[in-house]
Amino acid sequence: MHKLKIGPANSFFGFIAAGLIIFIVSSKFDDLLVYQGASVMMFVIAISSIILLTGYSGQISLGHGAFLGVGGYAAALARNNLNLPIIVCVIIGVLAAAIAGALIGLSAARLSGPYLAGSTLALAVGLPSIVNQFDSLGGEQGLFFDVGAPPAFLGEGFSPYRWFFYAATMAMLISVWGIRNLLNSRYGRTWRAVRGNDVAAQLSGINIARSRILAFTVSAGIAGLAGVILAMTLGTVSPGAYPLVLSFSLATGAVLSGVNTLGGVIIGAVTLVAIPEIADSISHRFGGSEVMTTNLPGILVSTLLILTVLFVPNGPVEQMRLTRNKKRAHAQR
Amino acid sequence: MINLLNTFLNGITSGAIYSLMAISMVLVWRSTRVVNFAQAGMALLSCYFGYEAVQRTGSFWIGLVVAMIAGALVAAVIEFGFMRILLKHSSQGPIASVAPIIATLGLLGLIKGVIGLVWGNADVVIEPPFSVVGFKIGENTLTFSPLKLLTLVTVTVLLLIMTWLFQRTNLGLALRASAHEPEISRLAGVKVDLVRTLGWALAGAAGAAAGMLQAITGSGGMNPDSIEFRLLLVFGFIAAVIGGLDSMIGALVGGMILGLVLAFTLTYASGSLVFITAFVLLLVLLIVRPQGVIGQKAGRRA
Repeated sequence: MHKLKIGPANSFFGFIAAGLIIFIVSSKFDDLLVYQGASVMMFVIAISSIILLTGYSGQISLGHGAFLGVGGYAAALARNNLNLPIIVCVIIGVLAAAIAGALIGLSAARLSGPYLAGSTLALAVGLPSIVNQFDSLGGEQGLFFDVGAPPAFLGEGFSPYRWFFYAATMAMLISVWGIRNLLNSRYGRTWRAVRGNDVAAQLSGINIARSRILAFTVSAGIAGLAGVILAMTLGTVSPGAYPLVLSFSLATGAVLSGVNTLGGVIIGAVTLVAIPEIADSISHRFGGSEVMTTNLPGILVSTLLILTVLFVPNGPVEQMRLTRNKKRAHAQR
Repeated sequence: MINLLNTFLNGITSGAIYSLMAISMVLVWRSTRVVNFAQAGMALLSCYFGYEAVQRTGSFWIGLVVAMIAGALVAAVIEFGFMRILLKHSSQGPIASVAPIIATLGLLGLIKGVIGLVWGNADVVIEPPFSVVGFKIGENTLTFSPLKLLTLVTVTVLLLIMTWLFQRTNLGLALRASAHEPEISRLAGVKVDLVRTLGWALAGAAGAAAGMLQAITGSGGMNPDSIEFRLLLVFGFIAAVIGGLDSMIGALVGGMILGLVLAFTLTYASGSLVFITAFVLLLVLLIVRPQGVIGQKAGRRA
């Protein structure tokens, strides 16, 4: 199988180019579209973290929303109590989520498939209720998370939503670039080796447990970054912002993108943001009631998920590659 | 003292319901090697059928039977029309190990959405058939009511029926055989695919019963977003894993352990710690005794 190899330097410029294109295109967007753009970026980061975990390291998490929550809360606590600059808060959020991920990863390394899925599910259900235990976490209302006004050099009266969008895009570009390089590095190869055949990997000197824990830690850290960005766009952190449905959406997004193709990640992210809009317009057209409006998004997402698992289980990008390879093999014969 | 007794009785009552839910997870796991995260959704859906029956006839017992039949049918249809195709389809590539999990997740979402669409997202209340006022011991009133006694009795009866089914009938023999050695069973003339569908149907019925009992003993209401539903979803799985996921007795023991631990947490610590306690219990157990309290097979790295 031949694959065009792009060196790290080229891909770096590629990402800068992508950033410029997003910057230019988004200048035409209004506030609502820019806000949705920020959500897309948040989902891209979060789904990449699942792709790293599931597609490359072979572990599954149904509770990644919990790590988003840890990241968001840590950043908000640092911001509110210590009044640190926003970039430091982001780093604290990422580190906190990574530490939480390492703790869970310690036990996750010993589990597989359904056991890991159920444990992470239990985590996502259990963790939010902790906020009621500590007053400093603000209970069900949560905490404010004020990132402050847009920096002065962007000019007076610069829309805060546009500023969120730029920040989220920046975070997305940096993290996806980082993940891409990480997956092409020694670590990425180690993870794939463990996923492919753990006995063979062990025989070639890979410490399986360490490799799995590392993957879980990195993945949780990236999820934490997504959590901080979600908190930024919402202006608050609360248990309601990181519900079980969010965890499920992330897993769904990863499957829609194809769990082992980082390139497809935008498909899942855009779908997750677009579905509520589509559902809204459908239920409007049919003069839908409130019941229809609340339930249609869930039905659409689930149906899409089921269809994907049935017909393109490895994701659209991978499927296209397979079909192309098949055609090529056919032509050569 | 009275507090301790109350806690204990609450523990075994809710434990009995978790056991029933865990048994339905175990049945599915044994017949198709799938952990069905949609089980709670299927149970909830059956409950709504049960609710309709209770509304029409006024009898909880008819409702329970209707719910169990509906649960069995729903589960059989899902196994036959969906899981069987899926398991044959997506057995390649990096998705293979997670595809069944993701698929049941999709089912869960779909079922929740359909319930919301048909019955709305407000609480649906099923009237308990017995008094919820507790028994009296001398001066003190227990929280243990005739309703809870009824729950325990119902679970026990269902367990007895199921044990009889598994140990004494040919169907039970076929179920056990195709769980352990599908190839050899096929050679011995067991219709393994059919038996698998039956395993799912039994699981659906057990889950439906757990759902109906949870609906009347809990806060009295069910809806797709309710805490009752999340209890079934998470605790059924945890109880099944505590028991080893492969054994019916294990599921029973797991449910009881979970019920008691959570009841004591609720009484002596805090209500908001219940879910996280269950999570910690699960992790500790998976690390200390990964084969479950009953299981004998070493490891579950599979």
